[in-house]
Amino acid sequence: MATPYISFENVEVKYTPHVYGLRSFSLQIERGAFVFFVGKTGAGKSTVLKLLTREVTHTAGLVRFGEQDLGKLPDRKVPALRRQMGIVPQDFALLPRKRVWENVAYAMRAAGHPRKEVRRRVPDILEQVSIGHRADAFPNELSGGEQQRVAIARALINSPNLLLADEPTGNLDPELSWEIMELLRRLNDRGTTVLVASHDMLVIPRMGKRVVRLDAGNVVSDSSGGDDV
Amino acid sequence: MFDRLQFLCAEAFTALKRNLLMTFAAITTVAVSLFLLGGFGYMYFRIRESADTIPNKFDIRVFLKDDATKQDVSTTAQAIRGMPGVKTVAWLPKDKMWDRTIQQIPEYADLPNQYPEALKVTVSDLKSAPAIVDQIRQLPSVSAESNGVVYRSDEQRFVEQVLSIVRWVGATAGGLLFLTAGLLIYNAIRLTILSRRLEIRIMRLVGASSSTVYVPFLVEGFVQGVLGGALAVLLLWGASNLITGFVASHSALGHPPTFPLLEMAGLLCGAGALYGLLCSSVAMRTPLRFR
Repeated sequence: MATPYISFENVEVKYTPHVYGLRSFSLQIERGAFVFFVGKTGAGKSTVLKLLTREVTHTAGLVRFGEQDLGKLPDRKVPALRRQMGIVPQDFALLPRKRVWENVAYAMRAAGHPRKEVRRRVPDILEQVSIGHRADAFPNELSGGEQQRVAIARALINSPNLLLADEPTGNLDPELSWEIMELLRRLNDRGTTVLVASHDMLVIPRMGKRVVRLDAGNVVSDSSGGDDV
Repeated sequence: MFDRLQFLCAEAFTALKRNLLMTFAAITTVAVSLFLLGGFGYMYFRIRESADTIPNKFDIRVFLKDDATKQDVSTTAQAIRGMPGVKTVAWLPKDKMWDRTIQQIPEYADLPNQYPEALKVTVSDLKSAPAIVDQIRQLPSVSAESNGVVYRSDEQRFVEQVLSIVRWVGATAGGLLFLTAGLLIYNAIRLTILSRRLEIRIMRLVGASSSTVYVPFLVEGFVQGVLGGALAVLLLWGASNLITGFVASHSALGHPPTFPLLEMAGLLCGAGALYGLLCSSVAMRTPLRFR
């Protein structure tokens, strides 16, 4: 059996002595998978994603991403880890005083890409998420769905193999939610592993992807293609 | 490399512009504190320099006993020369001194020589003078009378007191303001971090290196410190020109020394830069810790 791309083994995240983010959490994710993490607020969905970005460190167990044991990863190597993945935050986190293309360009410059490369790649990245026609708009001139596309575009600047999205449709109506999910599916079809924390139960079943249900930091069900397994 | 530097500097200057008022407060406070520290430092240095020439003016006169022979003069002079802090010892032969007095007051010509053999002693450091005077008094050929050793200790004490006041006022006022300036730089950086938390978050999300996150804040503190230092030099230069003009118009006070503009610029800008770097690195330590 091939080594999983991402694996969690008996992971425990304890925020305070009495508050747990995850308890005995075990899961394996193959390369190229599309996985939804669902559950109530506080179930541990975001914590799973934050373990991978090293915003949170586990207190027990083992978290592996590729060949890396994230528990042993020194802080100084976290930026390099994050450059291997794209992160889409729940609140879009767009710079209000920068245009769409500037938001993406700024992130690229911050990540260390030279100016020439930024000029060359930004239009392509915006086209990938079908927002190229709004490149000169400011975030407040965009709809929620468009803002989310910009956030996804920004997550693609390092050409990641893994995309993490925390409630990407949390602020969107059902139609826009579906558009965003379709976009994520397209990226997944190109080989990107996509992990999404969501409670959007209108859209998730229609996607027909793996769904991991969490409750109080434990996996309560793990279904593939919409069927419980 | 140049590409990266350009990005980091652009980030720093964006931050400086965003908190213009706080930046202005930090720069001016650094300037005033460095002006005081630099000004008092310069004044102290000048007074100290002048004080070094004062021992020549504040010489110690040593009068020997009436029956002292030339051999006694020589032995006493040698003993004094051996004392630490003594710069020169010169013999004032009593005959020459009396001749000079008679030249000034011819009526004394019929009187016998009233002077004893004497020595003129200069010291290299004013502070050591009282101890030297005590040691000289112990020498056997020195007159035991109270005016056997004459030394203007009051004047010396006055100079020492002035130096001490300049040192303490400068250090206290400048030091307090320097501390305030540090707190203002700290505060300015904290405000910048607060106002740029979204940019910092984006940098973290996309895997920007730690130096990309930290360096703009260091540059910001550095720039505030250097500008404060430069402003302080200008203020000092202006103040020095005013004083020089005043002194020059009162020629009796002598010609004032030229203000060492380049040296002071290097010193104060360097001090400001180091201080700015220090304050900004302290300010960003906690809020920029990896999360």
